[in-house]
Amino acid sequence: MASLTLRDVAKAYGSTRVIESIDLDITDGEFVVFVGPSGCGKSTLLRMIAGLEEISGGDVSIGDTVVNEVAPAKRGVAMVFQTYALYPHMTVYNNMAFGLKQAKMPKDQIDKRVREAADILDIGPLLDRTPRALSGGQRQRVAIGRAIVREPEVFLFDEPLSNLDAALRVQTRLEIARLHERLGSTMIYVTHDQVEAMTLADKIVVLRGGDIEQVGSPMELYERPQNTFVAQFIGSPKMNFFNHSDLAQTAPPELRQVDEDTIIGIRSEHLSLCSAGEETLSATYELVEQLGEHALVHCTTSGGTEFIAKLDVPPQSGRDVPLYLRVSPDQVHLFNRETGLRK
Amino acid sequence: MQDRSLARLLQTPAVVLLLIWMLVPLGMTLFFSFIRYVLTSLRRPEWTTPSLDNWRGLGNYQFVWNNDGFWLAIYNSVLMVGSILVLTVVLGLAIAVLINRAFPGRGIVRVLLISPFFVMPAVNAVLWINMILDPVLGLQGLAVAGMNEMIDGLRTFPLLGGFFSLWPDLEPISFRATQTSAYAVIMMVTWQWTPFAVLIFMTSLQSEDQQQKEAAILDGANAWSRFRNLTLPHLGRPIAIVIMIQAIFHLSLYAEIEIVSRGNGNKNLPYLIGEFASNNIGAASATGIYAVILANIIAIFLLRMVGKTLMD
Repeated sequence: MASLTLRDVAKAYGSTRVIESIDLDITDGEFVVFVGPSGCGKSTLLRMIAGLEEISGGDVSIGDTVVNEVAPAKRGVAMVFQTYALYPHMTVYNNMAFGLKQAKMPKDQIDKRVREAADILDIGPLLDRTPRALSGGQRQRVAIGRAIVREPEVFLFDEPLSNLDAALRVQTRLEIARLHERLGSTMIYVTHDQVEAMTLADKIVVLRGGDIEQVGSPMELYERPQNTFVAQFIGSPKMNFFNHSDLAQTAPPELRQVDEDTIIGIRSEHLSLCSAGEETLSATYELVEQLGEHALVHCTTSGGTEFIAKLDVPPQSGRDVPLYLRVSPDQVHLFNRETGLRK
Repeated sequence: MQDRSLARLLQTPAVVLLLIWMLVPLGMTLFFSFIRYVLTSLRRPEWTTPSLDNWRGLGNYQFVWNNDGFWLAIYNSVLMVGSILVLTVVLGLAIAVLINRAFPGRGIVRVLLISPFFVMPAVNAVLWINMILDPVLGLQGLAVAGMNEMIDGLRTFPLLGGFFSLWPDLEPISFRATQTSAYAVIMMVTWQWTPFAVLIFMTSLQSEDQQQKEAAILDGANAWSRFRNLTLPHLGRPIAIVIMIQAIFHLSLYAEIEIVSRGNGNKNLPYLIGEFASNNIGAASATGIYAVILANIIAIFLLRMVGKTLMD
């Protein structure tokens, strides 16, 4: 186990700068999730930590050692790949033992470690099979097992759940969370799925265009997004943005005060139906997505701004009848329109 | 049942055609191999027409079995096919792995690499035996002559001259000679068929999973270990295919042998058949049947090996 520090880390392919300059501190035992849209550099950053990509600038340190020039296998990291990347011609046992064999570990010790890892992951009966004979979820466990046996300082996960179906994804997510509890190792996890990020992370790093947008605990990011990008990226459905002109006359006075240069952000789940005269917004709706426990109501304000309200009960009235919606002022996020930063 | 018989009916023309294609030549060869049948004979003109009256039983087989060239032909067939297979697969693997990475001019290099495969076998043989392997005028002769000249020059060197005087003059190798002609054929066919192996291996290398390699890098595997544990198993199937196809082709080598030494010291089974066929069709047919048996032995051997790779 070890802490991990990135100082001014940059990556460029020729003259194309993929990652500008990233500073990040990860403490020992932390579960950190890199999240962002595709092309934001999150995987590149992970691969730089792993040693699979060269570091164009800055320093990556694991523990107290700068590892820029250290061979990937000597960095004390283990990685779980999106495609599992199991060795297809080896049995599960040999897949897990391969790294230890390369390190010339004695046979009995290899055996002990592999069987321990197999126990943790519940893949004992699969040890003699080849990856071909395994299901997606089982392959993923073997891939994790291959990482565990090396007893790394830092675990790296590169979108490990993307190739699993929805049910298995939820289950495996839980298992990864349990694994972290049990091993207590530092883990870095890359995903584009904000749900995975929210549920797993001690600390989320939101990336966009090769830069860090915000670092914080899941709830910090949810409750106090630093800019419009993070605001819309974290939370589902994404945060609604309104203009001053969308507000009703009866909106709370602190909201009425905001000027034209302010974006008013309100999460769908914070909107609720109210009677006329109490409303913050009035709108008509076009479409209702009924999800059972709640409904996603797609609305348009009189000013033409489209938004989604998450309501327990879908509106019973017709489509032309105005819906009155209210929000408590402390659940409103205000952003500067020009810079996108939180006010 | 109705469906199946209709399907069979529709397959019939193709199957019958194939059967005729196979069975007629095989049957004729078998027939000729059991009779006395020659193209010209002043003494026994009745042998010049194939007929059951000239029945010889296993006489042709015995005649071929006891022929001086027969065992040499079998030995040479196996030697050449085996050597060419080993060389093309090893060289093919090495070159395919080497050019699998991106480098400037890769397209041109690939085209040039493939081009030997488009040279006609006879032309290939003429080029090699005259321009490269000839002991006087070929590259080999020139190289040996040049080295001898250099050593000669060194002998006049003040102090070390004495040491070089101990060196013998290098002798160029005559590849048309009895002892070496098989090696000449192996060299030229290897040159011609390595591109085939490279081509097959190259396409297969491109479908290799890069993340597996990265996982192996993280597992601490060096380049050789990655090649040995990932690339080689990945190439199992293409290697099997290259070996199969080449074994079939090289059992019937002919043009190269004809051009290098006219079979002098280097007959294989097809060449022996060719020699017999200049007059003794009976013996040629018997040799043909022997060749079929040899091919089958090799095929069973290969199928065992290859089949295992293809199955899993």
